[in-house]
Order: sequence, then C-alpha cells, then structure tokens
Amino acid sequence: MSWAWIVYRKELIEILRDRRTLMAIALSAFATPLVLSVVTQVSSQTATQTYTVGFSGDVPAGLDLILAAVKLKLEPVADPAAAAKHDVDLGVVFGDGTIDEYYDPTRQSAQIADTRLQTVLGQYNAAKADAALRLKGIDPGILVPIRISPHPLSSVTAAAGNAFLSFFLPYILITMIITGGFSAALDSTAGERERHTLESLLLTPAPRSRILLGKIAAVSSISLVAAVVAIASMFVAISQIKNSGIHVTLNPIVIPVMVWVAILVAASFSALTLALGTLAKSFRQGQAYVTPLYFITIFPASIVLFIPDFNPNLAYYLIPILNAVLVLRDAIVHNSIDWPALGVSTFSLVGTGLIAWFAVLRLFTREALLTRS
Amino acid sequence: MPEAAVSVERLEKTLGKNHVLRGVSFEAGKGEIFGLLGPNGAGKTTTLRTICTLLAPDEGSIEVLGFDTRTAPAEVRRRVGVVTADIGIYPRLSTRENIAYFARLSGMTGSQVASRVAAVIERFDMSSFAGQRAESLSSGQKQKVAIARAIVHDPPVLMFDEPTSNLDVLASKEIRDFMVESRSRGKCVIFSTHVLHDAERLCDRVTILHEGRVVASGPTAEVRGAHRDLEDSFLELVEA
Repeated sequence: MSWAWIVYRKELIEILRDRRTLMAIALSAFATPLVLSVVTQVSSQTATQTYTVGFSGDVPAGLDLILAAVKLKLEPVADPAAAAKHDVDLGVVFGDGTIDEYYDPTRQSAQIADTRLQTVLGQYNAAKADAALRLKGIDPGILVPIRISPHPLSSVTAAAGNAFLSFFLPYILITMIITGGFSAALDSTAGERERHTLESLLLTPAPRSRILLGKIAAVSSISLVAAVVAIASMFVAISQIKNSGIHVTLNPIVIPVMVWVAILVAASFSALTLALGTLAKSFRQGQAYVTPLYFITIFPASIVLFIPDFNPNLAYYLIPILNAVLVLRDAIVHNSIDWPALGVSTFSLVGTGLIAWFAVLRLFTREALLTRS
Repeated sequence: MPEAAVSVERLEKTLGKNHVLRGVSFEAGKGEIFGLLGPNGAGKTTTLRTICTLLAPDEGSIEVLGFDTRTAPAEVRRRVGVVTADIGIYPRLSTRENIAYFARLSGMTGSQVASRVAAVIERFDMSSFAGQRAESLSSGQKQKVAIARAIVHDPPVLMFDEPTSNLDVLASKEIRDFMVESRSRGKCVIFSTHVLHDAERLCDRVTILHEGRVVASGPTAEVRGAHRDLEDSFLELVEA
C-alpha cells in the first residue's frame, strides 16, 4: 500500500468522524434550500404586492380600473408631493391632460410603483391615441413606423433558469469547495501539532511529500463531497419550491466542465489551506489564518453578482476562483465550452496548486515545524 | 561496553539563537538501558530528535546501527521507536486503528499488520479497549497506546523522552518494566530524563548533559562515584 494512500484513508476516517466537518456539510445541505426558499418568497411577494398612489385632481376615465389591475391602489391626499415622502409610494396630481408624478427614488417601493405606473400610462395613452385616430378614420399604424416582432430562440423560462443557475451554481460550488475543506485541512495540520501527533507521524519512514499528498487528497475529497451535497440540495430545493418561476435543467456539457473545475479548485485550495494550517500552532490560530483567505478568494467571484453581464478578456481568466466562476457561468449560459478560457483557467489553477504544493512541502520539511511549537 | 547501536559524535545544534548542543558525543549499546540525563533545557530532547532524524545536525555525525542520519534517514526511522511525554494519539481513531496506522506507515502490510497489532495489544493488555476510540481512554490507557504505536514495528532502538512525567505510579511502573524487558530482548534503550533517581535504578550507563555539553559519561556506578546518589554527583559536576 502506498504511503499517500495509507494517510489518505486514515485522514478520511478521521474527517468523517469529525463533528465539525459533518456539521459544515450538513449545514450546506440545509442552508441552500433555506436561502432559495427565502429568495423565492421575497421575490414573489414583491411581484404581487399592492402599492399606494396618493392623488389629487380628477382621475382620467377608466384609468382607476387599469391601475387596480396592476395592484396600484389610488388614495386621495391633500398634498401628493408631501405624501410621497412617507405616507404613500407615489404621489400623483391629475391635471387637464397632464399628470405630475412625485416619488422618492431611494425607496424601492416607489421605484416599483413608478415602473408599474409608467407601463400602465404608456398603454393607456396608446389605447386613447388609437381610439382617437380610428374616430377620424386614420390608421393608428402610422404612429408605429417600425413594428418589432420578437422571436426568442429559447424559452423565457429557460433563460431565467439559466441566469439563475449561472450565478448560484458556480457560487455555491466554489464556496463549498473552499469552506467544506477548511476544518479538515486545519485538523490535519494545526490539529496534528496541537494533539502532538505530528512528531510521531514524521518519525515514520514515510516521506513527507507522500504524507502531504495523502492529506491534500483527503481534504480535496471532502471539499468535493461538500460541494456535491450543496449542489444536489440546490436542485432538490428548486424542484420542491412550487411556483418559484425557476425551471432549471443542467446541460450535459456543463457537467464535465464543472467536475474539472471543481477538482482543480479543490486540489489547489486544499494545498493552500494546508500550507496556512502548517504555519499555525493551533487549530484556533489556523482559523485566524484561513478566514481571510475565504474573503480574499471569494470576493473576485462575487463580481458576477454585481456585474451580471461581465464579459472579460482572457487575462481575467488568470485570476484564480474568478476564472472558475466565469468558466462555469459561460458554460451554463451559452451551453458550450469556451476552450481558450478553460485552457487559461486550467493553467492558472494548476499553477496556483503547484505554488501552494511547493509552499506546503517546504513548510512541512522545515525543522521549525517541530521546534516552533 | 556492548556493541554500539547508536553513535553520536561531536554533535552541534543551534535552534534559532540558542546554541543547544555543543559537541555532544556518546555511544549507546545493544541490550542496555542508556541514560541521557540532565536538567530541563540541557539538550536531551534536541539530542533525541536529532538521532531520530527529526532535526539535522549542524556539525558532527550520528549513526544508528550503521546508518548515517544524514544520508539514510528513512533507514534510521525504520529502526527507531520513540516514546515521549506527549501522548499524541489520534482521538477519533480506536486503539487498534491508531496502532495499525503506524504499523502501515512503518512499511508493514496486510497480515503482518494484523499480527503485530494483535501482539502489542496483548502485550500491553489492551484487549478491553482495543475497539474504543482514543478520545474516551484514560491517561494510562492512552500512554499504553502511545507506546504500542511507537514499538509496533519492533525497532531495535527505543528512545524514551521523559516518558513518565505525566503518569501515575502504576503507569510509570509499566513503562519501566517495558524498558527492562526490551533490554533483556537485546534492544538498545535510550532513556532521557531529569529524574535522576529513576535513571539510577534502570540505567546501565549514563551521559549527563548540562547546557548542551556532556559533563559526565560512563557506567552508572562510575558516574555516581563516591557520592550518595547520581543527584549529588550531578550537583557537584554542575557547580564545578
């Protein structure tokens, strides 16, 4: 039996008996559906909520009915501008052929109510103009010199599902790969030192590089398990949340990309967390070292959250984690593999892994590893 | 003096800014208990760690059964078993799993592992807790596991670094008995301690270290000389 395999097996047994790691995996399994459920409920509440429009003057005929249909409730007020600050979501003064609208753009409810009002008024004006032209025997079509006929190439529902997946899936995958192995990595480095098992381990004839290889493989495995559990629970949750409006199907082409990227991220970040754990004298100190790593690495990945249509050039794919998120997003959105981007990302992640491997090996073979404690 | 199993020659070692070992030399033979004595900070642990290849000598050389620690560290580690005051066993593994892990890492396979693990479990009377996780064992039981783990590969050289410092009377006796038994089986036993009374009872020969230097070396009775005990002898050497 090879040294690395012996260490790998033992590490896995220990990890699977460690409550902290199991809790982290279980938490990810439960947290994902919970977050999705909250997000779905909030978005569905926002869509169906009624907003109040404070008004003065005479409401144009029929407009009140249309506003009620889009859940805008009219309420007479003395001063619509003043009321729009706190008491109602929008303030409207109906004049003779004019409407003055007052709203506070810093309030989200005002923004939503404004959008609904603008849409309704647009349709109302068009209908009125249409009727007036027809009365005079003029074809209303002259108001629309160019008519647009949209022909979507995929269903709107599928597009919404893809957009949802392109953000959530990479984010959950990467987050769980990085955090899922933290506890295991610290336990097998700083924990060894804290428990005084490190010296006994290094006293065996097993070469340190093989010991490390076994540890990296074990931490990577558990990271991947955490990620798979989180993603599986995400799909289960989506299928269980009724009326979520999200219908996702994972294109088969995404799966090999996802597996490849997941393995690369897991291996390189396991080596990195093991290196940080090796520097630490205790599990607690290791946590202090590793926590900033999470924020440093996950921050670039969050770019896709803030800039959904972020289309970077190839150089951006050299940034670890960001590249993993982008490659996955591209595969999900376009249902195809961007080979140059995948190549650059692979190069970057393998490079990161190798640097981390040499760092941890160097730390693991230094005398200070034992004398520092 | 019996045939040398461990030869340390003019060993120098600096850790950080501390010049810990200053030309330490001694030989420990097969079939004897060799005492490496001295107060805390004398350099005993550093000497043992250098012998078992955890640390590299700055100057000087060490041979274990003919293998140089610099050029054949893996061969040295195959032939050495170390028991320290720090018990250091894996809490989530059972007694048997702890011992078997180290047996495999020592190069044993399949049936060899099973038979050696069974043998040490029987030797240290651990059958009643062999399947129990280490985290639930008593201190004495844990110390037994630590010894079993260190000697599972049946090494010809055994090193004990302050092994009884955290133990009660019964557990300490168990370790002393094991050292005596190992000597009778022809093993080279190096016993490092600052408790000179223990050393006097067990050791055939001793080397006393003080501030990284050897201040006395030889058969226990010879080092004690005309003094009442080793402690008196040591105090006189240090004060001199």
